Amino acid sequence: MDWGILGQQILNGLTIGSMYALIALGYTMVYGILQLINFAHGEVFMIGSFLGLGTLALLDAAHVNLPIPLALLVAFVVAMAGAALLGMAIERVAYRPLRASPRLALLITALGLSIVLQNAVMLIVGTEDRTYPEAYTEALIDGFDIGAIHISYQQIFTLGLALVLMTLLTILVQKTRMGKAMRATAQDPMTAGLMGIEANRVIAYTFAIGSALAAAGGILFGLTYSINFFIGYQAGLKAFIAAVLGGIGNIPGAMVGGLVLGVVEALGAGYVSGTWKDVIAFGILVVVLIFRPSGLLGERVAEKV
Amino acid sequence: MRQFIAAILATVTSVSLAVPVLAADAIKIGVASPITGALAKMGADIRNGAELAVQEANARGGVLGKKVELVVGDDKGDPREGITVANKLVQSGVVGVVGHLNSGISIPTSKEVYAPAKVTMISPASTNPELTQRGLKNVFRTIGRDDQQGKDAAEYAMKAGFKTVVVLHNKNAYGQGLAEVFKANFERLGGKVLMLDGIQTGDKDFTPVLTRVRAKGPDLVFFGGEYQDGGLLVGQARKVGLKAPFMGGDGLFDPLFIKLAGKKASEGAIVTFPPFDRAGSFATTYKAKYGSEPGAYSGYSYDAARVLLDAVKRAGKADRAAVMAQVSRTKGFKGVTGTITFNGQGDQPGFKFGIWKVQSGNFELVK
Amino acid sequence: MHKALRIGLVIVAMLLAPLVVRYLPQNQYLMDVIITTLIYVTLAIGLNVTVGLAGLLDLGYIAFYGLGAYAAAIVMHGGAAQAATAGGPGFWLAIPVALAVACIAGLLIGLPTLRLRGDYLAIVTLAFGQIAKLSENNWDWLTNGPQGMEVAKPVLLGHELRSPYLLYYVIAAIALLTWACVRNLNNSSVGRAWVAIREDEIAAGAMGINVPKMKLLAFMTGAAFAGLAGAFFATKSGFISPPSFDFIETVIILAMVVLGGMGSLPGVILGGVILAVLPELLRSLPGILNLEGTFDITPYRMLIYGGAMVLIMFWRPEGLLPEAHRRRELHGATAESETGTAPG
Repeated sequence: MDWGILGQQILNGLTIGSMYALIALGYTMVYGILQLINFAHGEVFMIGSFLGLGTLALLDAAHVNLPIPLALLVAFVVAMAGAALLGMAIERVAYRPLRASPRLALLITALGLSIVLQNAVMLIVGTEDRTYPEAYTEALIDGFDIGAIHISYQQIFTLGLALVLMTLLTILVQKTRMGKAMRATAQDPMTAGLMGIEANRVIAYTFAIGSALAAAGGILFGLTYSINFFIGYQAGLKAFIAAVLGGIGNIPGAMVGGLVLGVVEALGAGYVSGTWKDVIAFGILVVVLIFRPSGLLGERVAEKV
Repeated sequence: MRQFIAAILATVTSVSLAVPVLAADAIKIGVASPITGALAKMGADIRNGAELAVQEANARGGVLGKKVELVVGDDKGDPREGITVANKLVQSGVVGVVGHLNSGISIPTSKEVYAPAKVTMISPASTNPELTQRGLKNVFRTIGRDDQQGKDAAEYAMKAGFKTVVVLHNKNAYGQGLAEVFKANFERLGGKVLMLDGIQTGDKDFTPVLTRVRAKGPDLVFFGGEYQDGGLLVGQARKVGLKAPFMGGDGLFDPLFIKLAGKKASEGAIVTFPPFDRAGSFATTYKAKYGSEPGAYSGYSYDAARVLLDAVKRAGKADRAAVMAQVSRTKGFKGVTGTITFNGQGDQPGFKFGIWKVQSGNFELVK
Repeated sequence: MHKALRIGLVIVAMLLAPLVVRYLPQNQYLMDVIITTLIYVTLAIGLNVTVGLAGLLDLGYIAFYGLGAYAAAIVMHGGAAQAATAGGPGFWLAIPVALAVACIAGLLIGLPTLRLRGDYLAIVTLAFGQIAKLSENNWDWLTNGPQGMEVAKPVLLGHELRSPYLLYYVIAAIALLTWACVRNLNNSSVGRAWVAIREDEIAAGAMGINVPKMKLLAFMTGAAFAGLAGAFFATKSGFISPPSFDFIETVIILAMVVLGGMGSLPGVILGGVILAVLPELLRSLPGILNLEGTFDITPYRMLIYGGAMVLIMFWRPEGLLPEAHRRRELHGATAESETGTAPG
């Protein structure tokens, strides 16, 4: 066994896994409160990525010669704010009116919305694969070696930023009033309401935060890979699986689930075969759920009687 | 139950209302490709190529004194929709069809739909050898077959002095077919294949497979697949420190390949594609009209439409059987992707691939 | 008597349909749309058993359809794609095999998932669906991988059923059979047991219903019809390859069930017809409006399709033709506010 290669593969997996984790957080937070699989979340990720690209392109076109870190900061702020608004709009327009309807009706609405958003973006930006401007991707492409492991700046940037965002989220959920309200609503919406917590506001916040995190994941994704109107489908599916793997509704679970999924995929592709890696990942998911039906970190909930 | 009847009646009446406007003075040809869905960009490349050919024909006064009308069908890259849209095209009165993109759609539609209706199908992109080996008289392609291309590529790689190679493909019909032919030919010529593996088309992160490739230390990496996957693969190779040059088939021949890989990483990549004039009128008109350089299959599609219209002209009438007979007699037709002569089964035995290399951000013909 | 008469009328109408269609413009295309619609209707009725009646959210349903298609293709091929030398038996022998393969798959997927509830069940079935599709694409020796498999046409009394007018009768028979089976199950103790499990699994168990057995039966019944439809799809297309069995297809069939009205047989049929025909209607819209050539609707088709799904759910969250007692639940007393959100 070549330990250097193993280390490299784990690093490869953590990089893509941290992007899965950022998207998975949105799924898990929304699920925690509404028990809704928000199928449109993948599209929010995709639109966030395009917002970031659009911001950088606009800055370049307007000859605002910001230094690269500052320009990226602007892109992150714009994309995360835009995605947060989009997430809130989706909730307000499409989900809120249906909150009392059968859960599957909501699921189908989410699905329909996902098709609409995907095709709307296709009509606006076209079908081409796009990359972030080279000035930004090239700045991150090089790296350094530790022993046999090659670490690129892009990997450090992705992992570092994901870590920062997840820490901020944890603080937000654990320490702030809004976080407390979110946890209360997730646990028991009725009682939380009686305690004076306004459910609609909490839900709107949840969508905003989840969407902003997805947009951040979208920019990291765009800086690393290429984007088109279709990326939300695959990435959304993977992130959803990561959320379930970790235990849906559980915030640390989504982070762990994303990273584990990324590493499992990388080891599958690196040691078995690139074509069987998803079979391996899905197989592990099935096994985990059969033995731990509520995911890796999910709590065992008492069955409702 | 009443609803059942009502629903079926509604279906029948509504769809049958969609009667084609029979413009008796127009000659109709179809183009079928994925206009929506994951493959939409390549689908648009194909439609644009055919559209350009039709517009040029109309600008010259049409064919046989009639206006040519292009009917566009969206197959979404889905075999089931492919059959439906093929039926739709046949019934809208086309004499022939340029399409489809995927071999997995061209194979069933040509046999199940086009053949019984005597509609000629010229595929600009389906390279699976199987397509033309089923004794169908209505099937042609302007593109070369996987087995021709894989052989040409392997011979060049050998001559260029590469001794060991890793073969990757994106596990779709085109990529895997090409990769396997390349591997067989490279080994036949005495080369050594260190590893053969697939990636999953549509995935974006290929660093794990590339890390494995780096450990093998090959002279060359051959990739069978389209530019979306190929571009990322080549770009990421640099990130994992893999230095070996890349080689691939005509599916990589798109300016987006260089863009996706990045200028530095794509430098020196080798691509097999027919030698065509990048400064010629087709490329320049295409760019002026659509704002981008022709995609991998645009030229093949442009040629397919022109071959079809040329056959209509020689047939002297827009009759399906007559047009089919004339297409099969196409000989020495000057296309932008080469000189087109079909053999009895609809292939071009004389099809020649050129060798292109990426040099300072452009494809340059080297052989 | 009245009911029997109506059913008789439907059967006569279905028998005569191709004869009428033959004289319509675009007849062949129309026939293809009708056949596709009947395939989807069969699938929607089948998924309705699992999701609508028994309340088990199955997001991997298309896998059974794919397994049925591949089983039929391999049987008719005379064995594994890259090993067979001579042709195999015909379509009629392939049908029971496809049926058996789909049933066994339903059992295999059902067994380990018995413990799982609600959305965890959904995700495991989704994973199974993806594994099935990837295996079809990767197992070259058996399925010929991405290169796909050619499939022969059914032969009846020495006559090859090539024309869509004849193939129509095969799928019409499959759709009618599916409908009749589910209709009878619906009115039997099995159907009532499924509904009881859907409404309250624990109470159902306490009432003496064998919950695991009934759940497995729901999975297998749904799978069986998908297998049948898959075998037909294989022979109708003449060629199958893995992209036909993507997750998005499950999603569309699920949308048919929910849109039409979960658990309601006329509802899911209507849902199936609407979602199968809508894309084709949109494709033909310029022709209908006599505007052919003036605008190109192709890029907007899926946008409108998705929008229609959202609007229908807004308009009728319980589906277009909901099951009678579900309608009562939603529009009767408001006491049961849990119905909307409780998982499982």
